[in-house]
Amino acid sequence: MPNTSTPFTGRPIPRMEDPHLIQGQGTYVSDIHFDHQWVMALVRSSHAHALIKDIRCGTAAKIPGVHAIVTASEYPDLKRRLPGMEPMAPPILAYDRVHYVGQPIVAILADSRYIAEDAADLVEIDYEPLPAITNAEIAARDENLLHPEFGTNVLEHFEKQSGDGVQALRTAHHVVNATLRMGRVSAQPMEPRALAAQYDPSSGELLVYHATQSVHRAQERIANLWGMDPEKVRVVAPEVGGGFGVKNGSYPEEALVTYLAKTLAQPVKWSGDRFEEFFGTYQEREQVHHVTLGFSQEGMIVALHDTYYQDNGAFAGGGMLVSQNTARNIPGPYRIPNLYIEGYTVMTNKVPQAPYRGAGRPQGHYIIERMLDRAADQLGWDRLELKMKNLVAPKDFPYATGIEGVTLDSGNYPRVFQDLLEELDIDAFRMRQSEARQQGIRLGLGVSNSVEISAGFGFEGVRFQLNPSGQILLTTGATNQGQGHRTALAQLAADALSIPMEQVTVIEGDTGRIARSIGTFGSRTIIMAGNAVRVAAQGFIDKTRAIAADLLEAHVDDVVFDNGQFFVKGVPSVSHDWKALADAWQSQSHPEWPTHEDYFSSSSATYGFGSHGVIIAVNPSTAAVRIERYVILHDSGRVVNPLLANGQVIGGAVQGLGSALYEEMLFGPDGEPLTTSFLDYRLPGANEMPDIEVYHRDYPAPSNPEGYKGVGEAGIIPSQAIMLSAVEDAFRDVGLRLDYAPITPGRLFKSLQERGENA
Amino acid sequence: MVAINLTVNGTPHHLDVEPRWLLADVLRENLGLTGTHLGCEQGVCGACTVLLDARPVRSCLTLAVMADGAEIVTVEGLAQNGQLSAVQNAFWQEHALQCGFCTPGFLITATHFLSQNPHPTRAQIREALSGNLCRCTGYQNIVNAVERASAAPVQVAKAIASEDGN
Repeated sequence: MPNTSTPFTGRPIPRMEDPHLIQGQGTYVSDIHFDHQWVMALVRSSHAHALIKDIRCGTAAKIPGVHAIVTASEYPDLKRRLPGMEPMAPPILAYDRVHYVGQPIVAILADSRYIAEDAADLVEIDYEPLPAITNAEIAARDENLLHPEFGTNVLEHFEKQSGDGVQALRTAHHVVNATLRMGRVSAQPMEPRALAAQYDPSSGELLVYHATQSVHRAQERIANLWGMDPEKVRVVAPEVGGGFGVKNGSYPEEALVTYLAKTLAQPVKWSGDRFEEFFGTYQEREQVHHVTLGFSQEGMIVALHDTYYQDNGAFAGGGMLVSQNTARNIPGPYRIPNLYIEGYTVMTNKVPQAPYRGAGRPQGHYIIERMLDRAADQLGWDRLELKMKNLVAPKDFPYATGIEGVTLDSGNYPRVFQDLLEELDIDAFRMRQSEARQQGIRLGLGVSNSVEISAGFGFEGVRFQLNPSGQILLTTGATNQGQGHRTALAQLAADALSIPMEQVTVIEGDTGRIARSIGTFGSRTIIMAGNAVRVAAQGFIDKTRAIAADLLEAHVDDVVFDNGQFFVKGVPSVSHDWKALADAWQSQSHPEWPTHEDYFSSSSATYGFGSHGVIIAVNPSTAAVRIERYVILHDSGRVVNPLLANGQVIGGAVQGLGSALYEEMLFGPDGEPLTTSFLDYRLPGANEMPDIEVYHRDYPAPSNPEGYKGVGEAGIIPSQAIMLSAVEDAFRDVGLRLDYAPITPGRLFKSLQERGENA
Repeated sequence: MVAINLTVNGTPHHLDVEPRWLLADVLRENLGLTGTHLGCEQGVCGACTVLLDARPVRSCLTLAVMADGAEIVTVEGLAQNGQLSAVQNAFWQEHALQCGFCTPGFLITATHFLSQNPHPTRAQIREALSGNLCRCTGYQNIVNAVERASAAPVQVAKAIASEDGN
C-alpha cells in the first residue's frame, strides 16, 4: 500500500465536495421529497406593530389540496414562546399582537406551494395598527413600549471599563468626537432557509432535514420545546447553501414544521422563498455610536469612550451577543489604555437581529478605524502614521485589550501593516492621486487593520470508523455551508492515519452519527474540529492496534503504528495496513465496525490579523465608486488548505464590500421594509467587484496545539470602515466626512451635492 | 392541465402541466432534476438558469408551457459519459464554488458564453457573469475558472464516485 510522504495538510487541494455539486447532484433541503408531504406556506404580518382583531380562514380552507390552516388559537401549543430568544421571545405564531412586518401568523399546509400560496392569499386578517417604533435611540427612552409586559424596550444595558475609563479623557491633550452609524444589512445566502420533517408514530422518531449551522442545538431546541427525548429527534443538515450566521438561530419555522409533522403525523416541508429571506430572516449591523477618542500630544491614544445603541428588532435572541461582541472588538489591534464602553440593546418594530458574518467584529472595528481617520483629519496628522504608531507591537504580547477575555497573542501587526503600505506604494499613489485630481478624476486610498477573534469556547468532536477495504469514515457534528470542511478534515485525517485522501469520507451535520457538537459559526470549525481530528486519530489508532495485535499474534503493547503500517516493534518487515485490518475484522463477522469518537475543548480564542488596503476611483458626476485595487495581507495561522482559506478571505471581503457600498435594509416610518428583493437590495456582482490580492503573513496560533486561526470572518471585518475611509480620501481636499455606512451611490451623491462637488 | 413535450438533456418527456407552473418547478418536481436551483424566483440571481434551445433563460421566469417543444439543457446534462465538461472541471480546479447553490446557473451561463466567445478577456467574463449572483466566492475564482476553461477547452477530468459511497 503506497503511503504519502508529502502531507496533504497545507496543500491547495481541490475539494472533494465539488464533483457532486458541479453535476447538480448536491442535495439541499428543498431537494428532499417525502411521499405524501404537505408543503407549508405562511401568512405573515403586513404591519410592523398592530393588534390582531380577527383572522378569517374560511374561504382559504375550501381550496382543493389544502389540508390544514393553522393558527395559534386553533393550536394553542403554538402560543408557546420560541426557545433561544430569551429574555423576550416571540410566540411561535402571533395571535393577539404583531411586532414586525413578516412575523408569522397563519401556517397553511397543502399539496404544493402553489396551492398553499393560493390559500394564503385568501386569509383575511383585521389589524388595529399601533405606532411603529423604528429608531433605537428613541425606543430606549421607553415612551412607547413594544412589549408592555417586559416593562422596557431596553433588552440589555452593559458597561465595560478598563484603566481609568472615562476619567482618563480629562488627561488627553486632544479630544475628537463623532456620531457614527451603520445601517441594517441582511445576509442573503443564496439558498433560503428551509426544513423538512417526518414523524414515525410507531417509533416516536422525528427526522428533520434542516438548513441549519448547528444540528445539535436544533435537536436540543426541538426536543425541549415539544417534550421529546433528544434521542428521538434526528436533525440532519444536508448541503446547506450558505449560512453566514443567519441559519444558526431559533426561528418560528423550525418550531412549526417540527410541531406540525409530529402532531399531524404527516411529512411537512417548508422551503422559504426570497421574500421570506427578506421579511423573516434575522438581520444585523444596525447601530449608532457616540464616540470620543482622546490622544496625547504625540498622537498616542489615551482613552476611548463610546455609548452605543443597537436596533435589535422586535425580540431578543442572538442580537444581544452581537451587541456584546461589538464592545469586544472596539479596541481592534490598537493600544487603548483606558476604555469606557456602554451598550444599549434596544427593541424596535423590525425583524430581530442575530449574528451575521462578523457579528460585532465589523461594528467594533468600524468605530476604532473611523475614529482614527477622523482624528488624523481633524488634528492634521497622517492617517497611516497615526494607525501605525498605535498598533499593538510584538513586544506587547500577550496584550490584554482591557476587555475581559480578549488578549492578543501573536503576529507582528506593525510589520504586516508596513508590508501593506509598501505593496500599495503610498508615495506613488499620492502623486497619481494629485495628478488625477487636476483632471477631475477622484482617486481615494483606504487602509484598515483588524484582528479576527475566533472560537474561544466549547468543544467540537469527530468520530473515526474503520470501514470495508480500509476506508475511513470521519463524522463530525459541525456543519457545512460551503466552507469545504469535508476536504480540509479529510486532509488532516489522511495525514494522521498515513493514507491517501481518497480513502477518507467525511460526513458532517447529522445528530444520528455523533453524540455532540456545537456547530459551524464564529470561524471555529477548523480550529475546533481540526484539533479534534488529531486527538481522535490517536485514540482510534490505539484501539485498532488491538486488531493488528491479533493479526500479528503479538501483545498489543508491542504493536506500533508508523507511516500507515502496524507492526511489532523492531520488526517492520511484517506489517499490516488499514485494508488488512479491515479485511481481518470483516472475516471475524463483528456486528459493528471499530470506531473512536473524541472531542477537543478550548476556552482560548485565536487572534488572526489582517491589513487591508483599497484604491478607488470615484466619478464625481454619478458618485459611482470603482475599486481599482484591493490588497489583503493576512495572518491565517496554520493553513490546512490555501484554496479554502483564500476563498474564505476573498469571499468575505466581497460580501463586506456589498454592505459597504450597496446593501441596506430600508424601512418606512411605519416600519414597512422597503427593500425586499434583489432588485432593491443589491448584492455585489461580478462586474463591479475587483480581483483581490491576498498575501499571507501566517503566524501559528499559540492557543491551540495545531496553531489554527479562524478565517471565515476575516475578510468582512474592515469593509465598511475601509470604503468610507477611501471615499473620504478621494475628496480630502474638500473635507468630505462620512458618518454612515454603507456609502451607497445615492447617499454619496447627496453628500457631494451638499458640497457642490457634483459636476 | 396542458400537454407539453420537452426534451431535457437529450431525453424526450411528455408532460401534463398546469399553465401557471414554472419551468423550474417542472424540472425539479416532475422530472426530479433538482440540480436547477431556485434562488429568488424574481429573475435576478440566475441560479435557475438553463439552456432553452441553446439560449440561457431564467427557468423561474419561464412557464413550462412556453417551453413546449423545446430542447432544454440543465446542469445535469453538462457532463458527458461520466466526463466533466471543461467548464465543470475548471470550476472544480479553481475552487469556483463554496456552498454550490448558485453554481448550476453559473455553469450554464459560462458554458453558453464560451460557446459564443471562446477566448474572452477577463473583463468580458465578468460582464458575462454579471447576471448571476454568488454570495460565497466573491466571483474571483469563478472568473478564473471561466478563463481556465477558455484556455484549455479539452481538459477534462473523470468524475469521481459518490463521496459518501460507503
